[in-house]
Amino acid sequence: MEARVGSDAKADCLVVARQAERASVAVATKNRNLLENGIRAVAEGVLAALGRPGVAVEVQDQGALDYVLAARIETAVRTVLPEAKLTRSERVERAASDPDRPRRSRLYAPGNNPRLLVGIDIHGADCVLLDLEDSVPPGDKAAARTLVRRLLAAVPFPDEVWVRINPLDAGGREDVAEVLEGRPHGVCLPKAESGEGVRELSKELGKIERRLGFDVGSTHIMPIIETARGVLRCEDVAEADERVVVVAFGAEDYTRDVGARRTNEALLFARSRVVAAAKAAGVQASDTVYADLANDAGLAEECARARDLGFDGKGAINPRQIPILHHAFSPTEEELAKARAIVEAAREAESRGLGAVAVDGRMVDQPVLERARRLIKYAEKLAKGGAA
Amino acid sequence: MTGNALGREIPDRIGSRKAIPFGGAFAKTPTGTKAPRPQKAAAQHEDKVLPTIEAAIEACGLSNGMTISFHHSFREGDRVINLVLDACARMGLKDLRICPTALFGVHEPIVGHIESGVVSRIEGSMNGPVGAFISKGGKLSEPAVLRSHGGRWRAIEAGAMEIDVAFIAAPQADPYGNATGIRGKTPCGPISFQAVDAQYARKTVVVTNDLAPYPVFPMEIQQGWTDYVVVVDEIGDPASIASGTLQLTNSPTNLLIARLTVEAVKASGYFKDGFSFQGGAGGMSLAATKFLGDEMEKAKIVGSFGMGGGTKMLVDMLRRGQIRAILDGQAFDLDAIASLREDPAHLMMDPGLYANYDSRGCSTYKLDAAFLGATEVDLDFNVNVNTHSDGQLLHGIGGHQDVAAGAAMTMITLPALRGRIPPIVERVTTVTTPGEVIDVIVTERGIAVNPRRGDLLERFRAAGLPVRELADIKRDADRYIQPVRRPVFGDEVIAAIEWRDGTVIDVVRKVEEWQ
Repeated sequence: MEARVGSDAKADCLVVARQAERASVAVATKNRNLLENGIRAVAEGVLAALGRPGVAVEVQDQGALDYVLAARIETAVRTVLPEAKLTRSERVERAASDPDRPRRSRLYAPGNNPRLLVGIDIHGADCVLLDLEDSVPPGDKAAARTLVRRLLAAVPFPDEVWVRINPLDAGGREDVAEVLEGRPHGVCLPKAESGEGVRELSKELGKIERRLGFDVGSTHIMPIIETARGVLRCEDVAEADERVVVVAFGAEDYTRDVGARRTNEALLFARSRVVAAAKAAGVQASDTVYADLANDAGLAEECARARDLGFDGKGAINPRQIPILHHAFSPTEEELAKARAIVEAAREAESRGLGAVAVDGRMVDQPVLERARRLIKYAEKLAKGGAA
Repeated sequence: MTGNALGREIPDRIGSRKAIPFGGAFAKTPTGTKAPRPQKAAAQHEDKVLPTIEAAIEACGLSNGMTISFHHSFREGDRVINLVLDACARMGLKDLRICPTALFGVHEPIVGHIESGVVSRIEGSMNGPVGAFISKGGKLSEPAVLRSHGGRWRAIEAGAMEIDVAFIAAPQADPYGNATGIRGKTPCGPISFQAVDAQYARKTVVVTNDLAPYPVFPMEIQQGWTDYVVVVDEIGDPASIASGTLQLTNSPTNLLIARLTVEAVKASGYFKDGFSFQGGAGGMSLAATKFLGDEMEKAKIVGSFGMGGGTKMLVDMLRRGQIRAILDGQAFDLDAIASLREDPAHLMMDPGLYANYDSRGCSTYKLDAAFLGATEVDLDFNVNVNTHSDGQLLHGIGGHQDVAAGAAMTMITLPALRGRIPPIVERVTTVTTPGEVIDVIVTERGIAVNPRRGDLLERFRAAGLPVRELADIKRDADRYIQPVRRPVFGDEVIAAIEWRDGTVIDVVRKVEEWQ
């Protein structure tokens, strides 16, 4: 039996593994003098952790980083010898994130594409979302899982990092069992349609957290509402579990599901429902991605619309969209100034024992005050940055 | 053997000449006068047109051991260097020294001419396949000498590099020897890189595929300098000379670096009316130039000039009134060439005007900001653009030294993580440009500021830019890759890297083994 994992694309490597008498490593690289030893060291390390099984490994390198090499080699060996068990040497340290931290952008990255994964941590996205679902062809799921696990272990994300898994009964269980070892802040559940589905995932996460010695409940869930059924039941989804901290809307699948064209009008009902369900459950709402990469003005307009509806952030398919998202979903100076004035007026009214508060001649009621307080706290978190 | 100002070991002699060790970017005071050229008076009705390259070689009296020179403005599309050297080979000439402004992949046949003894020495630039051949043990009779554009001009003017015959490829020329690069059947942009060759060589030959009636203009190469004009069928392949429109990078990492670069420019204190900058043709430089244009528009800033390699990006800024002039040594796309013909504010400039150390003025000294690339940088901010980490000599200096030395703020843009070979190293394999003239290094993992520039550091910090120690950025990137091996160099010198003033900043030695 022979396994071929990876590709000859830039930043990747192609690993061919065959059953053999003894473990062995062969390396092909454009720059043998400089690179062969390093690549060999990575390969030997992975084979040792797998107990040096009888597999001949051949690595054709295209500039893959260590974690990519290691992931490819591991997948290839485990494809040839499914019984080979990996000895884990390191525990990933990553603190759980604040459930209500800013999530203005969630940047998608295809989970089996090293060229797009390398450097995904440097673009300042509030959430990076490593995808195992739609962007990964069925035959590559196992390779993607291992690559994402190794990436999570290697890269200290400055902000939040999430993994979008496959539906639980279509590979999602295997996904979480493996990638949770890399300790992502959260897991995105695609095509969420019921509270039960969310609870099932939560139970699964709890089991793994216990096994790995993590705090149970520390892994967040982001259900993605992207079907007609999901839109109609999104309040169940949003309220289903403590782990849910944000509900996302996915327009691409939704329009396909209901047979709509992707106009703002066609999406208004779904968007409004998602926002209302999320806010009723006390969690954030995140809007769908904007696919026209070349159209910055269109993206800015859609961001403004989403912000008006009550969304807290939006998906991004390319890092270049992030500055536009962050601009749109950050409080403006005027909003902040007004919020500060409201909080200040309330404090003064309280100290003078007054019941009613007015700012600029308009009465301030409790929800408005709450909103102002939250905005200030949010702005402070933005200024501070970081996932914690 | 002497350590130069950067601690690089420089032999006392390189080939047949004495080597002066580099003493600092602006340490040298030139002495003496410019080189002489033999006098000659044109006859009243002289016919300078010769039928073939061979006829010109014969008329010039080219013989074994002499020096011939070329320019690189046709880039990968050049036919003339190969045409001339093939003719030399057919005529049995040996032991020639060639002196090109740069070489490209298309010039691979030179390797054959070295093997057969037609070419035995190279000065100016040695890059691409010829560099690879020499790095792997191919033999020249003396080490090659690499010079920057300004350094080459200076060496010729100072008589440090004597040229016997300059062959100047010209997209259009008249029978009396006036020539230009911006008109004709296959325009390539300015050819005035060789204006110095034309004025100092013992003989000057213009080679054209478009002989036009007198007078051809602009007179980049002048009748008073030219001995002969040769007409050939083809001087270059238009498809490989200048591209239609250059592409911006679409790599998210490179775009991020370009954005950070422009943010740094905005925060630098130089970003105000009269601002001047140099942008190149690489994808990252182009993106930075575009973002810079956007920011200048937003801030309503009018720059004094943009320095080329001319590109559509610069031309658009000129047309929109965002800069008052373009100073252009070479043109990278057809828009830039057209603009050079049509717009008087798009100025042609030769390296003597913009880059010459031994001169009373350099345009690069008027630059506020410059964006340059690198193959390696080290923790002392030294930059290598010549060799790769495996010791192979694959690139020329171009204008790197001249621009870096001149600009008030020289910025190196490079990814901290580039595959498995680290671009930020403890000590560069070869020093092309010393850290003392490098102010800022912009990577996707942070911006490093030369400790000499505390002023910039403060401004960048105040603007909230991600300023970090270069060593920290290096550590950040190195965690993803096993250490690479390092070449161990022997004593044999294969090339000298001259600083723009003619001193030796480093030498490239042959790789002996690996550690």
